[in-house]
Amino acid sequence: MKVRFLVVAVLAAMLAVAATTASGGTKKGQADKIVVWLQDDAKNGWPEAVAAATKAFQAKHPGAEVDVQYQQWTTHLTKLDAAIAGNNAPDVVEMGNTETTKYMAAGAFAPMQAKSFPNSKKWLSGLKDSCTYGGKLLCVPYYTGARAVIYRKDYYRAAGLKGTPKTLDQFVVDGKKLMKKYGSDRNFSAFYFPGKNWYASMGFVYDYGGQIAVRTGGKWKGTLNSPQAIRGLTKLKSVVRALSRAPLTVDEAHPYPSIPFGKGSVASFVGNGWEWPYTLDPKVGNPDLAPVMAAYPMPSHIKGRYMPTFLGGSDLAVPITSSKKSLAVDWIAAFTNSANMRAVAKAGNIPNATSLVGFTKGLPKVEPFAKAAKYSWFIPKSPNWANVENANVLQDMCSQILSGSKSVKAATTSASNAITKILNAG
Amino acid sequence: MTVAESEVSLASRRRRRWSRHRVMGAVAPYALLAPAAVVLGAVLFYPLYLIARLSFEKYGLFELIRHQGKWIGLDNYTQIIHDGQFWRVLVRTIVFTAVNVSLTMVLGTAIALLLVKVSGVVRYMLTGALVFVWATPVVVAVDVWRWIVDPQFGILNWALTKLHAGDFFHHDWFVNPWSGFAVITGLVVWGAIPFVAITVFAGLSQVPGELIEAARIDGARSWNVFREVTFPLLKPIFVILASLSIIWDFQVFNQIWIMLDQRPSADYYLMSVYSFVESFRLSEYGLGSAIAVVMVLIMFAVTFVYIRQMVKAGEVR
Repeated sequence: MKVRFLVVAVLAAMLAVAATTASGGTKKGQADKIVVWLQDDAKNGWPEAVAAATKAFQAKHPGAEVDVQYQQWTTHLTKLDAAIAGNNAPDVVEMGNTETTKYMAAGAFAPMQAKSFPNSKKWLSGLKDSCTYGGKLLCVPYYTGARAVIYRKDYYRAAGLKGTPKTLDQFVVDGKKLMKKYGSDRNFSAFYFPGKNWYASMGFVYDYGGQIAVRTGGKWKGTLNSPQAIRGLTKLKSVVRALSRAPLTVDEAHPYPSIPFGKGSVASFVGNGWEWPYTLDPKVGNPDLAPVMAAYPMPSHIKGRYMPTFLGGSDLAVPITSSKKSLAVDWIAAFTNSANMRAVAKAGNIPNATSLVGFTKGLPKVEPFAKAAKYSWFIPKSPNWANVENANVLQDMCSQILSGSKSVKAATTSASNAITKILNAG
Repeated sequence: MTVAESEVSLASRRRRRWSRHRVMGAVAPYALLAPAAVVLGAVLFYPLYLIARLSFEKYGLFELIRHQGKWIGLDNYTQIIHDGQFWRVLVRTIVFTAVNVSLTMVLGTAIALLLVKVSGVVRYMLTGALVFVWATPVVVAVDVWRWIVDPQFGILNWALTKLHAGDFFHHDWFVNPWSGFAVITGLVVWGAIPFVAITVFAGLSQVPGELIEAARIDGARSWNVFREVTFPLLKPIFVILASLSIIWDFQVFNQIWIMLDQRPSADYYLMSVYSFVESFRLSEYGLGSAIAVVMVLIMFAVTFVYIRQMVKAGEVR
């Protein structure tokens, strides 16, 4: 009796932890088929460039197949890890420029020759840096983008605002006028700011002279609890409290601010270049807003400057496990040629080379973002940085500060300690 | 089977008839169990062995790409024990499990007792509703609940405001982990009640009516009847239900993971979430496995102690 129940207990306990395993990856295909992982942005913003790249690639390699699989930012690294573990990694993978260092340091990507790619002599130095590790080129710059304030011209006019604000204080004064005019609708936000939007939050930190972390004597130290950073975040809190009614436990992708904006209850939000066309997409947004939308760089608290924006972007890499590296390189070369970069720029991004920045000229939907990029900040360059993002350290801190569940000082201190610990981990 | 049979028949030639039966009787159960054992070994014990091995290795992204871990003995476990977060998560998980199992058992039993009392039509409707809840896949259930508590568009905030329970306009239930966990508890308990209610209801139909009648004649009230007659008779069922509920609630993962956009803040880590984050978010597969192993051991201890006690008392047959 006893024995039997012991066995039952063991089985029950073990069944219970039939652990949560992620599956993903791709089927092993024929010799001349490559699998490409791109982010959803390409599907929403420049599908024609993807199609053109595949067409050009197939002209060079008749009979070769390209299987483009679209991924989401929240899960693509989990899937990539699982795919690497299962020997099923794609042949081309898009990586955020904050994510590459961890993977390059671990030897996940195949080295490449810059000369295999168009415009490589003029690549944006920021993106090229995010693809270089130990002196080797391990990925290819794809595009970059800055964030700016996307707003409703008609609301601004109706609230009596003359032009767009040139200082942060003016921004707040204008926002309060908007709240006065439209705020009786309790869904209305003059400046819609989700509580976990850490990219935009860090802009305040850098604007007031703070930094996320500094490296001295080979050691990293989290510095979000410095007086400058605290001043910036305290300012952020007062701005958001006064002007935003966005939920405080969600990030800037759940839902995209363009969705409430499209419904008319938002006068402005901090968004990427591609979020402008995305707002007008009849499938997810509101095409009627086309004549009343515009954008301007977020003003700094210092007159005549802009608030530093996060210079986000994407790179394209070939995993070391790929058995079709030369095909993969050829597809990337086709995808990043000038014609396709023009399509990427048209969707609201800054193309990968200085020689192509002219593509953004005269595009009212891209110019404000290119202007905003004049003042920018970037994450600390450590192979461990991706773990700070993945552990949600900054998102949690922003949410705690903005909701008031922790004081600015308490929230920044615990975040700084966490950052110090993660960045210095073995 | 044929091999076993031929061996058995060979042996039986030299033995008497009763002996052949005996051998058959001894071999047959194992032969019948063999296919299941092979499947379990392949899909359960082999992965478990891998996880256990992984927990003694340094296995990060670097090792993942090379498919080769580095043996570091008990280092992962030492690191866990000295990590304050691990202990916070452990306590939180135990409290969460206790609350969820208690609520599930009490409410499930209450609904089962109600099912006995109500008329046929109502019983069918109730049972139908229970089966419907039970049949709802977790992912769908989480999405439905997410919409209910959505700060901007959710019906819960709207209804509470209309009912003058306070101003819940744009109230975000997940700012405060206590109210956030209340929502998650609601979701977990809601999903678990049908199984308990239907099983207990089935058990109740086995309680002899005479016993209850006799108790009533002796002047027992409803509560006493339940405590003195029904509960002792159904104790084995309650033991199994409670054990299963503990196992299920101890490893709640999907409800939190999906409800919080796959990026739960550290305040919402339960053991399973913590293990997953260490593994798949931070690419520390060795450390994540060590947490999973600790989880298995705790669960094993809980179920083992509980079931052994029942066996000792001779109440489980």
